[in-house]
Amino acid sequence: MDDFLLYLTNGLLLGVIYALSALGVSLIVGIMNVINFAHGELYVLAGYFSALFAHALGLPIPVAMALAVGLVFVFGLLIERTLIQPTYGNDMYSLIITFILSIVLQNAYLFIFGPYPQKPPNWVTGSTHLFGLFYYGNQRLASFLAGAAVIALLFLLIKKTWFGKMVRAVAQDREMASMVGVNSTRVNMLSFALGCALAAAAGVILAPIFPVNPTASVGISLTAFVVVVLGGMGSLEGCVVGGILLGVVQNLGAAYVSSGYKHFFGFLILVLVLTVRPSGLFGRKEI
Amino acid sequence: MPRSLVWLLSLGLFGVLAVLPLVAGDYWLHTAILCLFYVMMAASWNLLAGYTGQVSFSHAAFAGIGAYVSGMCAIYFHLPPLLGALVGMAVAAVLGLLLGVLCIRMGGIYLSLTTLAFSEMLRIVIDNEYEITRGTMGLSVPFVLPFYSKAWAFYLMGAVTLGLLYVIHRIIRSDLGTAFRAVQNDETAAASLGIHVVKIRVAAFVISSTMAGLAGALYGHYHQLITPEILSLNLMFLVLAMTIIGGLGTFAGPVVGAVFLEVLSEYIRIYGEFHVLIFGLVALFISRFAPEGLVGLWRKRFPTLDAQR
Repeated sequence: MDDFLLYLTNGLLLGVIYALSALGVSLIVGIMNVINFAHGELYVLAGYFSALFAHALGLPIPVAMALAVGLVFVFGLLIERTLIQPTYGNDMYSLIITFILSIVLQNAYLFIFGPYPQKPPNWVTGSTHLFGLFYYGNQRLASFLAGAAVIALLFLLIKKTWFGKMVRAVAQDREMASMVGVNSTRVNMLSFALGCALAAAAGVILAPIFPVNPTASVGISLTAFVVVVLGGMGSLEGCVVGGILLGVVQNLGAAYVSSGYKHFFGFLILVLVLTVRPSGLFGRKEI
Repeated sequence: MPRSLVWLLSLGLFGVLAVLPLVAGDYWLHTAILCLFYVMMAASWNLLAGYTGQVSFSHAAFAGIGAYVSGMCAIYFHLPPLLGALVGMAVAAVLGLLLGVLCIRMGGIYLSLTTLAFSEMLRIVIDNEYEITRGTMGLSVPFVLPFYSKAWAFYLMGAVTLGLLYVIHRIIRSDLGTAFRAVQNDETAAASLGIHVVKIRVAAFVISSTMAGLAGALYGHYHQLITPEILSLNLMFLVLAMTIIGGLGTFAGPVVGAVFLEVLSEYIRIYGEFHVLIFGLVALFISRFAPEGLVGLWRKRFPTLDAQR
């Protein structure tokens, strides 16, 4: 029973993390109908940046993290402007281009940062005695809280601010939004970069727990895609629920079936969703 | 292109294929066989991506399915490799059908996501089922022919490649090919003309995946060692880059791209693993500025040759 609680806690915590790393994909697909296959690579890039800034430049951890996320945001703006914008209206080309970009970045990381895992310093040390049952790493708890905070902030931004209103308008009806004066090209650029920054936020929050290496990105992207399909394309609420669901299922599966098959459960869920409810938990029906 | 020129080119190509094993050394013969494998992969991927506009990321995975199924048939059931290759093809076709039916009705993005997840999942299974697949150690399988001869392997692969290209050419020129392009250009219009969009898409996916299965099976038996590397995203990327650089949606594009990149990668191999990075940058550049690839550039440069088409 203790074990079960441990796996469940682990699953819940990881679930929030998965939700966080999938939100960027979900945001971009909801607004632009573009799947960013380089999502995991941006996550990894932010992980590298935060490690580099903290270790090599000796910056304080929060500064290093903020700088890493900011740089990836700017990188996202550049990607949107140079690579995605020319493909508007042709979904296939944006898929191909972001896929090529992901391979290019993976190989560039291998060349620049080397094949070995790197990790930024921990924010906190030690562990906490949870529920009087088991010890849980403080860094994991801190990352969980930070992840939950970022998710809450994003929901505030999308649901409560003027920018969020514009974004939702473009997502619902691009032409109509343009007609009432929303600059949809700029909204696209900003939301793409915001999606990249979310990947980066996940990266800097998680890199202390899961060190980054050039190929770690594939697993991250895939998990994000499974969460997005499970939650429903473009639904942010679905993304959070889907992430937590996947985290719990993966951890219980890895614990009780086989740890080598951890990522296999994600695929199983994907198949299940596509067979039973293809539009996902919170998906728009008309897709 | 004028008819006579097409015949002349084809004749020249046959001549080169026939003579190559007699003049080329072992090393270049090996490279030529790899070229043939990549031509099969890129041409069949192009049939799906270039003509129906669906991007599958499981093409390498289907080659892996063909290779592993055929290899295991040879090892565990002692089937001759060529028969095993047919079984591999059949399994690839069935899995392609299942995967296609599962996700194609939801539209293009779902196909890309699901195929990517499928190929990673398959790699995990092969890595983990060590007793059957030998994991990352690789599966040793018998040579494609009863006797070892690179030259004859080349002739065999060459014949299959030409056959495959012929089939693809026939499909493109048939009603089915027209339906493919109709579905790519305007789904709604195609549906209004009585084309069953989902069926056409699934058909294209199954045909393309089956061809990948055949290519993979032959490749595995030629190499005599099948590793999970064949299902990796790197191979998938190479196939995609070859098609893009050669010319997506053109018949000659993937052939040109495959031969070009494979020969080029032999020359820049000494610089280490950078060739993937370089190909990636080139592919990015081409898909951004010349979406029709090398073939498209050629057509722009010599428009008159195409006038009679």
